[in-house]
Amino acid sequence: MPENSPLLAVDGLTAGFGNTPVLFDVVLEVSPGELVALIGANGAGKSTLLGALTGLVRTSGGRVSFDGRMVTGLRPERIVAAGLIHVPQGRRLFSTMTVERNLTLGAYRRHDAEVRQDLRKILEYFPALGDKLHREAGTLSGGEQQMVAIGRGLMGRPKLLMIDEPSLGLAPKVVDRVMEVVKTINHDGTAVLLVEQDVVLALEIADRGYVLENGHMVMRGPATELRNDPAIRKAYLGI
Amino acid sequence: MSLLAVRDLTKRFGGVHALAEVSFTVEKGEVLGIIGPNGAGKTTLLNCISGLYRLDGGDIRWDDTSIRGMAAHRIARLGIGRTFQIVRPFPSMTVRENTAMGALFGQPQGRLQPHEAQKQADEVLELVGLAEKRDFPVLRLTVPDRKRLEIARALAMRPRLLLLDEVMAGLNAVEVEQALGMVRRVRESGITIVLIEHVMKVIVGVCTRALVLNFGRPLAEGPPEEVLRDRRVIEAYLGERYARLQEAADQERAKPTDA
Amino acid sequence: MIARLRRMPVTWRRTTMVVVGIALLLVVLAPLTSTDAAQQAGLPLLTDKLWFRIATTVAMFVTLASAWNIIGGLTGYASFGNVAFFGLGAYGTGVLVSNLHWSFLIALLAAPLIAAIFALVVGIPLLRLRGHYFAVATLGVGVAVGEVINNVGPLGASTGLFLPIMRSDRLFFYLMIGAAGVAVLSTRLILKSRFGYGLLAIRENEEAAAVIGVNTTFYKVSAFVIAAALTGLAGGIFAQWNSFINQENVFPVTYNVEMILMAVLGGAGTLLGPVAGAIVLELIIQALAGGGSASVYSQIGLGVLLAVCVIFIPRGVIDFFGGQSRLSLSYLRRTLRETSA
Repeated sequence: MPENSPLLAVDGLTAGFGNTPVLFDVVLEVSPGELVALIGANGAGKSTLLGALTGLVRTSGGRVSFDGRMVTGLRPERIVAAGLIHVPQGRRLFSTMTVERNLTLGAYRRHDAEVRQDLRKILEYFPALGDKLHREAGTLSGGEQQMVAIGRGLMGRPKLLMIDEPSLGLAPKVVDRVMEVVKTINHDGTAVLLVEQDVVLALEIADRGYVLENGHMVMRGPATELRNDPAIRKAYLGI
Repeated sequence: MSLLAVRDLTKRFGGVHALAEVSFTVEKGEVLGIIGPNGAGKTTLLNCISGLYRLDGGDIRWDDTSIRGMAAHRIARLGIGRTFQIVRPFPSMTVRENTAMGALFGQPQGRLQPHEAQKQADEVLELVGLAEKRDFPVLRLTVPDRKRLEIARALAMRPRLLLLDEVMAGLNAVEVEQALGMVRRVRESGITIVLIEHVMKVIVGVCTRALVLNFGRPLAEGPPEEVLRDRRVIEAYLGERYARLQEAADQERAKPTDA
Repeated sequence: MIARLRRMPVTWRRTTMVVVGIALLLVVLAPLTSTDAAQQAGLPLLTDKLWFRIATTVAMFVTLASAWNIIGGLTGYASFGNVAFFGLGAYGTGVLVSNLHWSFLIALLAAPLIAAIFALVVGIPLLRLRGHYFAVATLGVGVAVGEVINNVGPLGASTGLFLPIMRSDRLFFYLMIGAAGVAVLSTRLILKSRFGYGLLAIRENEEAAAVIGVNTTFYKVSAFVIAAALTGLAGGIFAQWNSFINQENVFPVTYNVEMILMAVLGGAGTLLGPVAGAIVLELIIQALAGGGSASVYSQIGLGVLLAVCVIFIPRGVIDFFGGQSRLSLSYLRRTLRETSA
């Protein structure tokens, strides 16, 4: 049952690189168990926003609260420990390490007993990885790598998992499978913030959506509404 | 005579066959789309054609002359230009200088001098839509613009064949439309194109033929409408969701319109 | 042209360049005046043998650093064995003068030739290596050449080779200045040419360079050969200037590091960077060469200075003068981010 207070609340967030501001006064919320989509063109600031939330990008204004605590400006490790985990664009696996190592490193901050258990749970989500645990992560196909990346994120037992463009460079069939897993993960209780270029895909599985344009949050609402909104259809679906 | 003919091309990495007996031709003026799951050997194929990889078997013929074993720069000068999936600009040069490099080194006839090359670069930048950004350092460009630069540099070579490796990745629907427009303009200027894509809109939108690779072997070949409805291709690559969307769209189109 | 060269200097930077330019001009032309006039003008330094020695050495390092810059800075292949060419040039001239009794100036012409041929022969296999492998391999070759020469009888073996003494500070000063001039001029010609762009392309992205039509093997080897010839020329001049050569003084491993540091601290890949780096660093090294406990402390000081430079001005002094750099952490962060992009 969704509670009243949001899990993630972003208020008036401003951030950028050096002298170039990228995000302007961004507002966003994710409640426990929700699947929220974040869509926008290239360069709109989606990845910067995720970076700001995980503590990798310095913010110059605004507040971020997670699970009832202020996390603005905290170091990334503390944010991960709080349960906000980021699956970055392009996978960013440790390509010379084994799949198993990549996954267990996702649980870096925790202790052994439960890590084994969690590893087994991950393999239930991604049975295709079962026989590949000892392969170097860099030798896997794009889709398999994406699964390892998401699995690594899950190993941290996130309350909210932020996934950046999982469909990038993947075959349509593989994208379907990845999205199924994302839905399952969400169904099992983990909130998900999904950043996606494929607007149709994102709005198909999300509960709600936000639209980011040139660093400004220009639209928000239930996914079904956004899907049918004429401005969105024109700008992002070319219809 | 085909512009490019690939015959029984085989490439191994250690014990693994990245490509096994791949054969196909590319006719002048067409747009051939190459699709397939990751690891199917698509980029490896481009690397073999452009001379970065040595073949383990088979032949590649350009204008009916074998180019197997030729150095990459000689293949480039024969008129084959290519882009990389992860773009490789020259970071210390501006957009214009990067583009000019293609003209400076890659043209089949003659060795240009730097200032002539820069003039030609300006024309190409107009074609791809980067003219206003010509003096930008590369690091200031967004990802889609860097892809355009990659294409511009290849076009400055005045190639007869252009190999594009996943240039649409990461573009949203509108950006894909713009890129398609550019690809069409390139084709109209007389350049034959071979492109690798995961974005089906491109295959349907601009390709005259499609070739599907799976595990290093050809799986299907033909006009896009046929290939994308081939059961084997759906199972290996497209997935049921795409098939369903396609069926729904087909049914829409098949509905009789009221008189 | 390359972005760095195009930066328009601000007024005070232009003034600095003019002042430095005039100072260098005075330094170069001064020895042409008679020693009497110099003494009367109260400029004893100009007649001082030590001064000539230092100035000639500085000019030599300008040559070595600029030459290294062609293969290391412009092309991106950091050779750690260029001293081999210096020694080969020295021994080439040395043997012709000492054993075959050729006249020095004729024998000098052989120095760059011998170095170039050697570079051609080892360059073709060596330049197939990249990055660290290339660096280590060239280091090995540099050391090996010295060792081999050290054991060859007719070349004097471990005793070394003696050349008939030619006393003329001025001659060798101007010869070295000439070599430095040739090195800088060559760099300038390369930078403005198609060849130069090709080298840059190889440095920035060798595979991309290949697929746009750059004959990377030919270009790399050419750059290596040119660098070798210039380095060898300096070696040939040194041989006669010093009148005595052996493994230790013409194949010193430290020269490899010094010429790289000069080029890099001055600004690798630029025209004047290696010049500035060589002048400044060599003057410091000469000043510290006194010996005794003071020299130990001063060598530590040199190390600290180098570390500071590498941390705060990673792109070199020329960038500092020509661009948007300041001695600051934000500059460091910016350059680190750009170089790792």
